[in-house]
Amino acid sequence: MRPVQFILIVLLGLVTYFYFSRLRSGLLDRLIVLLFAALGVAMTIVPDFTTRVANLVGVGRGVDLFFYLSIIALAFMCLLLYSRMRRLESSITELTRALAIKKATAPDNPDEPKS
Amino acid sequence: MTVGAPGRMNRSVFVVVPIFNEGPVIESTLKPLIARGYSVVAVDDASDDDTWSVVRTLPVYSLRHAINLGQGAALQTGMTFALGKGARFIVHFDADGQHNPDDIDVLLEPLRKGQADVALGSRFIREVDRRAVPRTKRLLLRAGRVVNGILTGLWLSDAHNGFRAFTREAAAKIDLRENRFAHATEILTQIRGARLRFAERPTAILYTKRSVAKGQSMWNSIKIVFDILLRRIFR
Repeated sequence: MRPVQFILIVLLGLVTYFYFSRLRSGLLDRLIVLLFAALGVAMTIVPDFTTRVANLVGVGRGVDLFFYLSIIALAFMCLLLYSRMRRLESSITELTRALAIKKATAPDNPDEPKS
Repeated sequence: MTVGAPGRMNRSVFVVVPIFNEGPVIESTLKPLIARGYSVVAVDDASDDDTWSVVRTLPVYSLRHAINLGQGAALQTGMTFALGKGARFIVHFDADGQHNPDDIDVLLEPLRKGQADVALGSRFIREVDRRAVPRTKRLLLRAGRVVNGILTGLWLSDAHNGFRAFTREAAAKIDLRENRFAHATEILTQIRGARLRFAERPTAILYTKRSVAKGQSMWNSIKIVFDILLRRIFR
């Protein structure tokens, strides 16, 4: 085994470990993560396999194909996170607005009923 | 407070003032509005200076956001509140004192006459107001006018004027979801979407060192356009 393979597998193991220890998630999520981790380890140990897949779609090296796909996945994740952030922001806005209106004070004015 | 005839009439006019860190000037901005008998809705957008302690001692409706959300959000909070209080007209008024309280009547005129549902202030109708705008700002606003026109289909003489007046019915149709400065463009989109009749009226702008420093920079303008475009995708 080359050193890089060892490093990659250790890092992958760490990420998976953190996912399982820090994040509570459903059984399905856990299975998917486990599957991806296993796939990652397999691709690290047998790089020729990804290269063969890459050749099938007209890409020279497996690493390159993986690289292209990663960029797309990353962009997709960014968009997902961004839209989630906006939704979060709008819930916070609603909360803050409701609170501000609830706690509003009326002008000290006899003509106006106090709220 | 004196209760004169104009005071009674103005009470149904709710002037919404979104405020962020305007402690040194907020009293002088609000006092003339109070004196004219308007119902003033001061929305403190979680200022971290003494704004809130000043505002709450004044005879206005005082609201405070627990966290800073942006001017658009503060305006929407003020409008929602004013509608709940039975406002007949709702006016947007900047906190930094750059708008002239006397212009409120100018904006309300087409609404009172039933000629329009929304009135927008413009610095580019009267030559004297136009000259008061700093040169670089003028160029920026001219570019903004084109961007707004393309994005909203509403071609106005002034791209980013915070001085506006709505009838109750029109205000109820506005729902600002852009918390920050892109709300100015969002308002135009919604005016057009709701098929509200709008009019532009000349309003003066008083540029102070303070208001210019806090105003829109070139970089901010780019961020606004970015916000608008992203919102187009993520609606």
